[in-house]
Amino acid sequence: MNCFYRAFNELDLDLQKTAFIGGIGCSSRIPLYINSDAMHTTHGRALAFATGLRLARPDLRIVVFTGDGDLGAIGGNHFINGCRRNVDMTVICINNNIYGMTGGQASITTPHDFLSTTTPQGNKEYPFDLAEIAVAAGANYVARWTTRHVHELTKSMKTALQKKGFRMVEVVSQCPTNFGRRNKMADPTQMLDWFKESSVRRDKARAEEIDHVDLNLAGQITIGEFCNRDRACFEDLIGVGKHGE
Amino acid sequence: MSGKVKEYFVQGNDACVEAALVAGLKFFAGYPITPSTEIAEGLAARLPKAGGVFLQMEDEIACISAVIGASWGGVKSMTATSGPGFSLMQEAIGYAAMSETPVVIVNVMRGGPSTGQPTRASQGDVMQTKYGSHGDYQVIAFAPASVQEMFDLTVQTFNYAEKYRVPAFVLSDAEIGHMRGLLRVPGNVKIVNRKERGVVRDDEAYTVSDDVVRPFPVFGRGHKTMITGMTHYREKPRIEPEDTKVHSDLVHRLNEKVTNNRKDINKWEVVNEGAKTMIVSYGSSSLGPMEIASKEPNVGLLRLKSVWPFPEEPVQDVAGKCERILVCEMNMGQLYWAIKRAALEAGCRKIEFMSKLGGDPPTPAEVRARLKEMGAI
Amino acid sequence: MKPVIDLRYCKGCNICVYICPKKCYTKGADLSQMGYFAAVVSSPEKCYNHNREGRLICELCVLSCPEQAISWHPETEEEKRK
Repeated sequence: MNCFYRAFNELDLDLQKTAFIGGIGCSSRIPLYINSDAMHTTHGRALAFATGLRLARPDLRIVVFTGDGDLGAIGGNHFINGCRRNVDMTVICINNNIYGMTGGQASITTPHDFLSTTTPQGNKEYPFDLAEIAVAAGANYVARWTTRHVHELTKSMKTALQKKGFRMVEVVSQCPTNFGRRNKMADPTQMLDWFKESSVRRDKARAEEIDHVDLNLAGQITIGEFCNRDRACFEDLIGVGKHGE
Repeated sequence: MSGKVKEYFVQGNDACVEAALVAGLKFFAGYPITPSTEIAEGLAARLPKAGGVFLQMEDEIACISAVIGASWGGVKSMTATSGPGFSLMQEAIGYAAMSETPVVIVNVMRGGPSTGQPTRASQGDVMQTKYGSHGDYQVIAFAPASVQEMFDLTVQTFNYAEKYRVPAFVLSDAEIGHMRGLLRVPGNVKIVNRKERGVVRDDEAYTVSDDVVRPFPVFGRGHKTMITGMTHYREKPRIEPEDTKVHSDLVHRLNEKVTNNRKDINKWEVVNEGAKTMIVSYGSSSLGPMEIASKEPNVGLLRLKSVWPFPEEPVQDVAGKCERILVCEMNMGQLYWAIKRAALEAGCRKIEFMSKLGGDPPTPAEVRARLKEMGAI
Repeated sequence: MKPVIDLRYCKGCNICVYICPKKCYTKGADLSQMGYFAAVVSSPEKCYNHNREGRLICELCVLSCPEQAISWHPETEEEKRK
């Protein structure tokens, strides 16, 4: 949130012309804390609400705050189609690798073998790599950082806010209460340490060495700007009014 | 343009498209599903030319969500679907009710349950229209019985959605949707637009008190609107899920704003008022009874044009004056139970039910045979 | 500019202590009014932004604080001389 505000203010953007939309979950409540128009929608559907609002009002800037489960699990279909359709919006996905609001159930980004309330014997599934999915699905800008990399994150958010089309910034974030505590990282600084040690720049990681879909204690979190392209945004393709940045 | 009536020979679904455009539709999100697809296709061709946006979404949940989002941008929005898609939309319909978002949903009902009969009619979603989502909420739903009514009642649906800030429904079916008939579009059609916060206008929506329906705070006008599905205060922009009184007051208000205005919302038609036997029906089911009522002096018809909020008054009025009632529905009995309850309260002792499943509306011959069995003719 | 912790919000998570590259913060030993062992700005003169106006060099603490409890304040003449 801090990085977002810093980015927003440095770009001198207008809060009054920005609408914030969130789904359900800790991350999705952020729009409610911002002093602007906000929509707290149903679980997983924030992108669909955002699409409707944006196309009805191309003069508004849309920022969506969502979480890993909200975006990648229940919202998966809207996520990939949102990237494909490339409607103008900035999506900040706060990935804490867990369903925190409801007490700590496994999410689609919970690393393999990790513990949660619904994986007491260790998570047998392998996690999604949300940023890579966004790249493959066609988003115009995709970046992933952790909360340990606040300066880079702020800079990425600034870049994202200025582009057109579907932009996504994934923020790997600590949840010491429901994730860290069950996985020997109860202190937030322990989680930040884990982020620092596990992250590797995507452009520096060689594909055969890093299996970034297998994110576990031995694995790596790839970070950086994953893609930065200028596919035509949907508003331009259908010729809907002029839109804000 | 005013005063001139234009005539067309079109399908029910096409009449719905025309009505939506006349009502001022500016955003449509749809997904292909028989027998409603013609509405999406018609709007795909015509809505962009009318300055609106048409979108085919990835699923029905995305459709209804996008339509709600668009409404908060201040534009009239609509989606059209049938049974399976309608079931998917229920969570978001509850959200529209809770957040008091005006949206129009057209359900061209088909044979159910599940995939059922995609190309045949039924009235199997009537209860679901009101009770489909969890929790207590009220909706407004109209049931057209002709191509002309597909137009007239779709416009009404938009008007009432705007006036009362509720999700409102056009309950059509495969018969009405695909039948072809005469459509007359007058030059002057009454249109109602929502009461907007910060704007004063001469519009019927403004005749509703602010206590009942709050002015709509359009996004992007500096209102710092906060919309949520959680229990919330009306005075302060805050979520209050723990406060029992706040929740109780909220749910009461959401329901009463519709039920207290039944007289304004409900529409119906009575043929042969005062007849000893009255048939109560709506939509396609009423076509056969209409024929009978127009020929038999002892048989009348109460044709409900709106089915939600439940039309207590016309049902009780008719029940109080007749000896027996026959309810005709293309389902196993949905509105029947409420009609029966209301009729019994009004003093009518004999209420029977004619269920027609399979996809065809009850024919005049079938209705006649049933009435003979009842001793009505 | 110097960092200042707002004790109404600090919950003693000590992320600032952990993250500051110049070790300007230390873990608190006293309970704040909110009931937490709030962190302490023990060496603001070591901060990269000491004696700096306008564009700040490092904001790791401000940006990392989950409660938005840290903000930049202008330094007094005496503090600037440290």
